[in-house]
Amino acid sequence: MNSTFLLGAAQQVAWGDFIFYLVLFVVLMALVGHFAWNPIQNMLQKRADKISNDLDSAEGARLKAEKLAKEREDALSNSHVEANQIVNRAKENAEQQRSTIMQKANDDAATLKNNAQQDISRQKQEVLAGVKNDVAKLSIEIAEKIISKELSADDQKVLIDKYIEGLGK
Amino acid sequence: MNEGTKVITLLGIPFNVGNCLSGLIAAAIIFILVFWFSRKIELKPKGKQNALEWLIDFTNNIVKANVQDEEGKKYQLFAFTLFILVFMSNMLGLMFQFNAGGVTYVKSPTASPLTTLSLALLVMVLAHFCGVARFGFKGYVKNSFFSPMPALFPIELLEEFTNFLTLALRLYGNIYAGEVLLTTISSMSKAGWLGFISSVPLEMIWQGFSVFIGAIQAYVFVTLTMVYVSKKIVKE
Repeated sequence: MNSTFLLGAAQQVAWGDFIFYLVLFVVLMALVGHFAWNPIQNMLQKRADKISNDLDSAEGARLKAEKLAKEREDALSNSHVEANQIVNRAKENAEQQRSTIMQKANDDAATLKNNAQQDISRQKQEVLAGVKNDVAKLSIEIAEKIISKELSADDQKVLIDKYIEGLGK
Repeated sequence: MNEGTKVITLLGIPFNVGNCLSGLIAAAIIFILVFWFSRKIELKPKGKQNALEWLIDFTNNIVKANVQDEEGKKYQLFAFTLFILVFMSNMLGLMFQFNAGGVTYVKSPTASPLTTLSLALLVMVLAHFCGVARFGFKGYVKNSFFSPMPALFPIELLEEFTNFLTLALRLYGNIYAGEVLLTTISSMSKAGWLGFISSVPLEMIWQGFSVFIGAIQAYVFVTLTMVYVSKKIVKE
């Protein structure tokens, strides 16, 4: 083996090994390149593309989500305002209704009171008129029974009128 | 290691059978492994695909450390093949050596200076070729031998030869020494039962250390290759 290294040695150098190893290396490189290197490189390229695509789409999704969240927040704050408006309007309505109802109730009450008073005074008049006649008749009958003999009809009438006037007061 | 070698002559070219056969076996093992590892490649890597991708990433990083990204992509496959070939060649002799009739047929191909000189020659030719392709012949000569100053021309010229020789002989020396020691320890095991018992742990320790050395040397070889290539294609 040493003799192959010492080029000046008498023994023959197997210089074919040079050619053999050059050819071997080139063939091996071609085979490895064709069967392993290129598929792996393609796959690495694909993976790099996929990763960058995924990153891009993730970025897009993040932006979209942010936009949606913002929209929702806006909608929420809008709904607060709207709710306040609704409540306020309802309060106003209620206030208005309350005053209307109160007004109406007051009016009704006043009308009823008036009617009742009118009824009462009319009935009182009627009763008084009725009573006046009844008392007159009764008195006359009683008086006739008690003092039919002592009083003339005229005297009697004068007496009764006086009496009734006294009643009226 | 110092047993005889069988040299056959084909078309007037002498071939060392043991050396060529070892290289062929190493290359075949590499190809089978890489072929098997690269079956069913998926977007989501798992198992053996992960291992292969890790190895590719490893050699790509060696390239990237010396040559810029876009330029470096051209050398990635070269560096990968070189690394696995040198690594497997270093390991082959640790796993088995085959002797028949005093002739070694299977061993570490890199334990032979012819192999490492071939690989180093390949690297150097590639480096100079890339330099010419990059700057044109005039620019290449100027960049390689006359910069930073023309006065350094003799040193630059000498450096090319020393680079070539040290690249080859560093690898050869490491692996050859490892194999010599392995053979020595294994011959110790034939000297009685005491020698056998003591040689087993020694052999195991030295084999482990040789695996380490083989990996380091493969890494160093590829790293220096990329350094030499980058020196030729980068303007000084």
